Amino acid sequence: METSVKKTGLTHKLLMFVLMIYLLIPLLATFLYAFAKEWQTTVLPERWTVGWFSQMFQDIRFLDALWTSLYLCSISVALSLVIMLPAVFIITVYLPKWESFMKGIVVLPYAVPGVVAAVGLIRAYSSGPIEIAGTAYILIGAYFIVILPYMYQGIRNSLLTVSAVELLGSAELLGASRMKAFVSVILPNIWPGVMTSTLLSFSVLFGEFVLTNMLVGGHIQTIQVYLYQRVGESGHLASAIAISYFIFILVLSMILMKLGKRMNRGIEG
Amino acid sequence: MSAYLELQGIRKQFGNTNVLNHVDLQIHEGELVTLLGPSGCGKSTLLRCIAGLTDIDGGKIILEQKDIVNLAPRNREIGMVFQSYALFPNLTVSENIQYGMKMRGASKGERRNRSEELLALIDLEDKRDAYPRHLSGGQQQRVALARSLAVQPKVLLLDEPLSALDAKIRKNLRTEIRDIQRKFNMTTIFVTHDQEEALIISDRVCLMNKGSIVQQGTPEELYTTPRTEFVARFMGSYNVLTRPEALRLFQRVDSTAERFAIRPESFILLDEEGRKEALYAGKRIVDGNVHSVSILGNIIRYAIDTAGVRLTIDVLNDGRSHRIGDQTAVSLALDDSQLLHLEKEGA
Amino acid sequence: MKWRNRWIFLGLVPFVLMVVAFQFAPILSMITGSVRAEGGPGFTLSYYARVFQSAYYLKAIKNSLLISIASSFIGIIVGLICAYSITRFSPRIRNRLLVLSNMTSNFSGVPLAFSYIILLGNNGVFTLLFKQWGWNVFGDFNLYSWTGLILVYVYFQVPLALLLLYPSFYGIRDQWKEAASLLGASKWQFWTTIGIPVLTPAVFGTLGILFANAMGAYATAYALVGGNYNLLAVQIGSLVSGDVVNEPQLGNVLAVILALSTLLAVYLNHKMTQRSQAFNSNPSSRQVRTRRTFRRPWATTVKEEL
Repeated sequence: METSVKKTGLTHKLLMFVLMIYLLIPLLATFLYAFAKEWQTTVLPERWTVGWFSQMFQDIRFLDALWTSLYLCSISVALSLVIMLPAVFIITVYLPKWESFMKGIVVLPYAVPGVVAAVGLIRAYSSGPIEIAGTAYILIGAYFIVILPYMYQGIRNSLLTVSAVELLGSAELLGASRMKAFVSVILPNIWPGVMTSTLLSFSVLFGEFVLTNMLVGGHIQTIQVYLYQRVGESGHLASAIAISYFIFILVLSMILMKLGKRMNRGIEG
Repeated sequence: MSAYLELQGIRKQFGNTNVLNHVDLQIHEGELVTLLGPSGCGKSTLLRCIAGLTDIDGGKIILEQKDIVNLAPRNREIGMVFQSYALFPNLTVSENIQYGMKMRGASKGERRNRSEELLALIDLEDKRDAYPRHLSGGQQQRVALARSLAVQPKVLLLDEPLSALDAKIRKNLRTEIRDIQRKFNMTTIFVTHDQEEALIISDRVCLMNKGSIVQQGTPEELYTTPRTEFVARFMGSYNVLTRPEALRLFQRVDSTAERFAIRPESFILLDEEGRKEALYAGKRIVDGNVHSVSILGNIIRYAIDTAGVRLTIDVLNDGRSHRIGDQTAVSLALDDSQLLHLEKEGA
Repeated sequence: MKWRNRWIFLGLVPFVLMVVAFQFAPILSMITGSVRAEGGPGFTLSYYARVFQSAYYLKAIKNSLLISIASSFIGIIVGLICAYSITRFSPRIRNRLLVLSNMTSNFSGVPLAFSYIILLGNNGVFTLLFKQWGWNVFGDFNLYSWTGLILVYVYFQVPLALLLLYPSFYGIRDQWKEAASLLGASKWQFWTTIGIPVLTPAVFGTLGILFANAMGAYATAYALVGGNYNLLAVQIGSLVSGDVVNEPQLGNVLAVILALSTLLAVYLNHKMTQRSQAFNSNPSSRQVRTRRTFRRPWATTVKEEL
């Protein structure tokens, strides 16, 4: 493929240039806005400041929201890891017949949008035996479903790329117990892949707004809910928050890419 | 000599298909037995059943007079080498080799000595600290072999260990495996779909089809006396004849068999001179027409149409036979002692 | 699995519990909620009747469908062109471009709506700038209207379309092109006879995802127009969380309708993915069985080893 690509034509260059401008302008504007003291009727702001950022970090509600987000996302991802790791392992290795059924379950969160899920969750848990509507529990449960596809695919793909079934078979024939084989042979090899899906899930949850706002919006403020409330108050401050959020996600995805590369190198060699 | 490993009536179903149909097999100590057959014949499943990686639905697996069916794979003392090597990618070569001993609680020194011994055996001493991904396919498979030998298993199972390798490496490793197997007097079951590989490497070949062993014997026996059409077709380029075809060629046959087989090298191609001599000698001669000629190195293979049958005939390539080209009329001397009478399939 | 391994299935219990509690129970509850009479047991379709008789809710459904279809189609067209364009670059630049578009696809929901407000809102930078420059072309533009929503929706559809379509372009191997040209096909003929048929399932599959994505989009619309624009997702939100009038049953009905449309779209994607996998099955992923010296008649009909 690579060798046959001739010199990229001007049309393509222009096209990509326009696309990138289109995609980056909103980001850029937010970025500039976050550092602008005033910005009206000029192409670029006239005066700059980092005041919005310092104001942001002095805002106790922002810090609270940040902490809540980190806390809720970490708990949800950790819970998912603890539950999904054995489940996906068992299904992939011992119950491959169930995989088509699993695919159905895993695609459901894609097919059921957040609003719809929220409607169902509120109705199911606002009365009756388990009354957890409006609490962090219902949110963690909902988050578990949101990241289910990422966790399932990530773990399953890692298991398949290292051909877990055969590794397990050879470890067992060499005298390892099932538990021992899992810990000494399977886990270290799938770990980079699992880490990748964990971080991906984390960044997905960090950007989650619909479920959070609808399920616990009044009681628990995550960074997204907080951002939504600040939009109306101060544009510059909100920009600073949005940009910080975005940079955080960016760092996370960069780590993801590095991990992904290492995973590939580890397998192909 | 009593059997070292004995399979009695092994049955296995996947859904509604019988993958293994009451398979019986006896293997002696130090013997190398090959399970040969086309894809889907159940040979790999049988191997996995012996290892305990697949559960059987019925039957007994007796190793040294003990039924091991209810033992977990790790307690069976059986080693296995997989087609895809299945080396642990997070461990180095020597760690891979030591893995089994570590699981069995061997001391560090003991482990190191044994692994060095095996590294020397497979000639990979300089790769001891390399990771599997840095090795070639052939090297990886040698490590896999060493890894399963390290724990001194009672039986070694090899599941198409050579199929993923290049032709040349395959041949070398084939010899190497046989040498190592002889050296350790290792009772070995070797699975392959390659009849040439099976004939070369084995003490005994079991040809499988549709979940049963259809014929077993020494490579010699299997090659020279196939009992059914399936075996004849699988073992070589036998000419398989129907009864009417055989009657046309040989005029009479001394059995009620419906299928006959004759090896491609058991015909004699005659020139004008030879034809006369053969006639005097009272041999049966048929005339035919060359359809095509192909040179397979030291053998020339002809496809010859005669009496309404297309026969495959092999002649040693001694440099004299080249003058026979396509569409040439030729004569064949037939020897009915070479005609094999086949049994019905599944009889 | 044999009896001695049964305990291992205990590992599935928490998973099943979570999925039942937070995936199936809510869906079931939503469906029953949409057909249960108020204040007691009994089956009723009256809420569905109310929705389908209300011009207001029908308008919401129509608006959502229109905006989803429009934004998906624009997204897919831009995505297709850009995905092709991207394959023409050297691998290094190609990767950078993909990373950039991947990065912007993270930029969605509230922050995205917000940055469009900064740019094009009533007091947005561009709005004021254009006013000062006297560009009246954009004078009628209103971010909080249909056109504004389309603009924002397209923004998050394009990178998604690009990322989903790009691999299929890559799947069209240069060897196919070479083979086609040796067989006498022109570049154009190659695309009409091979290229486009191979891409078609991927295009429709991606369309399904884009459509579902737009139908379910709530955060962007909510942050941008709040209750001011009549969209299905926004209506559901306000009916259930009680921004306006609290009528959860109607919310359930609308949610069922929305879920049906997205389910259908995702199903389309599923079917199409199967088709395109059939095209792009990679022979090297299977164990390539080496050719025997003498090919046997049944060699062509063998099954995979069980």
